[in-house]
Amino acid sequence: MTATQDMYNYKVVRQFAIMTVIWGIVGMAVGVLIASQLAWPAMNFDIPYLTFSRLRPLHTNAVIFAFGGSALFATSYYAVQRTCHTRLFSDTLASFTFWGWQAVIISAAITLPLGYTGSKEYAELEWPIDILIAVVWVSYAVVFFGTIMKRKVKHIYVANWFFGGFILTVAVLHIVNSAAIPVTALKSYSAYAGVQDAMVQWWYGHNAVGFFLTAGFLGMMYYFVPKQAGRPVYSYRLSVIHFWALIFTYIWAGPHHLHYTALPDWTQSLGMAFSLVLLAPSWGGMINGIMTLSGAWEKLRTDPILRFLIVSISFYGMSTFEGPMMAIKTVNALSHYTDWTIGHVHSGALGWVAMISIGAMYYLIPRMFGRDIHSVKLIEWHFWLATVGIAFYIVAMWVSGVMQGLMWRAVNPDGTLTYSFIESVEAMHPFYIVRLVGGALFLTGMLIMAYNVYKTVKSGKAVNDAPVLAPAAAH
Amino acid sequence: MFLSHVWGLFAHPAQEWEDIRKERCSIGKCYCSHVLFLAAIPAISGFIGTTQIGWQIGTAEPVKLTVESALMISIATYVTMLVAVFSIGWMIYWMGKTYGTEQQLPQGIALAAFSATPMFLMGLMALYPIPWLNMIVGMPALAYSIYLLYTGLPIMMQVSKEQGFLFASAVMAVGLVVLVAVMAATVIMWGYGIGPVYTSDLGAFPHLFG
Repeated sequence: MTATQDMYNYKVVRQFAIMTVIWGIVGMAVGVLIASQLAWPAMNFDIPYLTFSRLRPLHTNAVIFAFGGSALFATSYYAVQRTCHTRLFSDTLASFTFWGWQAVIISAAITLPLGYTGSKEYAELEWPIDILIAVVWVSYAVVFFGTIMKRKVKHIYVANWFFGGFILTVAVLHIVNSAAIPVTALKSYSAYAGVQDAMVQWWYGHNAVGFFLTAGFLGMMYYFVPKQAGRPVYSYRLSVIHFWALIFTYIWAGPHHLHYTALPDWTQSLGMAFSLVLLAPSWGGMINGIMTLSGAWEKLRTDPILRFLIVSISFYGMSTFEGPMMAIKTVNALSHYTDWTIGHVHSGALGWVAMISIGAMYYLIPRMFGRDIHSVKLIEWHFWLATVGIAFYIVAMWVSGVMQGLMWRAVNPDGTLTYSFIESVEAMHPFYIVRLVGGALFLTGMLIMAYNVYKTVKSGKAVNDAPVLAPAAAH
Repeated sequence: MFLSHVWGLFAHPAQEWEDIRKERCSIGKCYCSHVLFLAAIPAISGFIGTTQIGWQIGTAEPVKLTVESALMISIATYVTMLVAVFSIGWMIYWMGKTYGTEQQLPQGIALAAFSATPMFLMGLMALYPIPWLNMIVGMPALAYSIYLLYTGLPIMMQVSKEQGFLFASAVMAVGLVVLVAVMAATVIMWGYGIGPVYTSDLGAFPHLFG
């Protein structure tokens, strides 16, 4: 050991943790606004910058990349330092990833409402911003893997495998999918044409779900669930097996987004088959998480963070069952383009991603400011608002989705359509109001979290001198 | 002794769960005195609602189903509910080992069956098969069922409240998975042509000539 004790880099973790809460509120507030526009179109106030078409990509980018991304940066930087018993590889580069990522988000928040878009779903940002993302992401990989390389223990803990897999794959996905030919400073055209473009888009799109929103957050689960439960992972062997199975299977599932399109039929069937196989590794992760938590029941009375973790893993199990079901071509024939898909995405995004991120932030933020959380009671309130909000959202979308699917395929005896499209829109109105209520409840929970975090930060003191722990003796 | 616990589950749930536990009734008795009757409420109401009353979308004529189609769907729904209660009950029994309880299969099935009581009763709303109305009324029923599950589980399974919260959350996840499986199976059946058949007294352009 060196003469001066090494310290952990908590500064960058703290910055990302705070921004997770802020971007969560921004992204979800935009979501609530556009949910209200679907119920009452006048909510765009006839202002072009507030139209649904421009704010929808802002909502998805803000919740996935700003909120989810910040949570992943914060937790991966924290977990990799703690489990490798060493400070981050480079403070300068880590700081660059923070400011670079914020610059990406701000650029998105400016260009998307102005109508600049590459028009690829979940990859709308124009080429100069895409280049910045690539540079920041490669720096992230250097910081993360550099830290792993200078680790003080031989073993690489499984959470780092998931974080590492997510960082590498997202780099490949982003760079390949965003390949484009610039025309002007803010306009470009995809490097691919026709159905290839669609296939690349959904190879990227589904793996944004599989790696950004799943593998990364499983890394979070494998660090914070055992920590908060105070127990080792239920089965370490299972965690390694389902890691490799997940990595191998996810990458093939993209074509299920293109059922009954110009994509060759065999490719669609392949995508469906791999989507069904995906159930096994997904549930491997769920079982491991649930079984790790199930021994910690005596802590539940005093620990609302555990509740966020339990609910998040339950929703992970449910939505990874629903996904393969919806990838079956016969089911997809009804469910595709309906609100069922929106409900499915949100049971994953709110139920799994947001709930586990919130749990991890309630773990991290007090530790970053050297004190307990301001109010445990408010965490409880947040938990119930979030859970009830998700229930409203999903139930409304299930009912309206199946109704839409049935209305669109209803035909009269002479073969004409029974319903015009606008009649199906009209029939959705009450469900869109229920969805809005659900989303507003979830957002209210986030505002309570922001108040709780603000009070905690204000009376706490930033921790900058946490010494690196010596690795435990070999056992 | 038919439907003897229904009132008590609303008036004094904790005490009623205690009575149900002490009864230790068999699977057959639980089905014969409770599930077979209650599950018939949504099935029969749905049959009457979709064939006699119908539902209206926009300004079009009310939509109804043909008697044969509605009968098939109602029977399928009825059987599905019976199977779903058994499956969830079996999962409760199976997971019980993990959560440290020695309770047998009938206790798990009774827990699933009695927790679902409010939702069975709310099946009466299917007499008026208007989706948004059914959802608004169905939400409190669903919430009360969840409440019954969380309060009933520690009593029926003889575990502590904290363990019960985890256990009941796992049961919720199982319930959601069963629900999604039923939705997917239904849609697959529709895909193969076994689905709702609407009465054909709608004109070619019901919204124009209706």
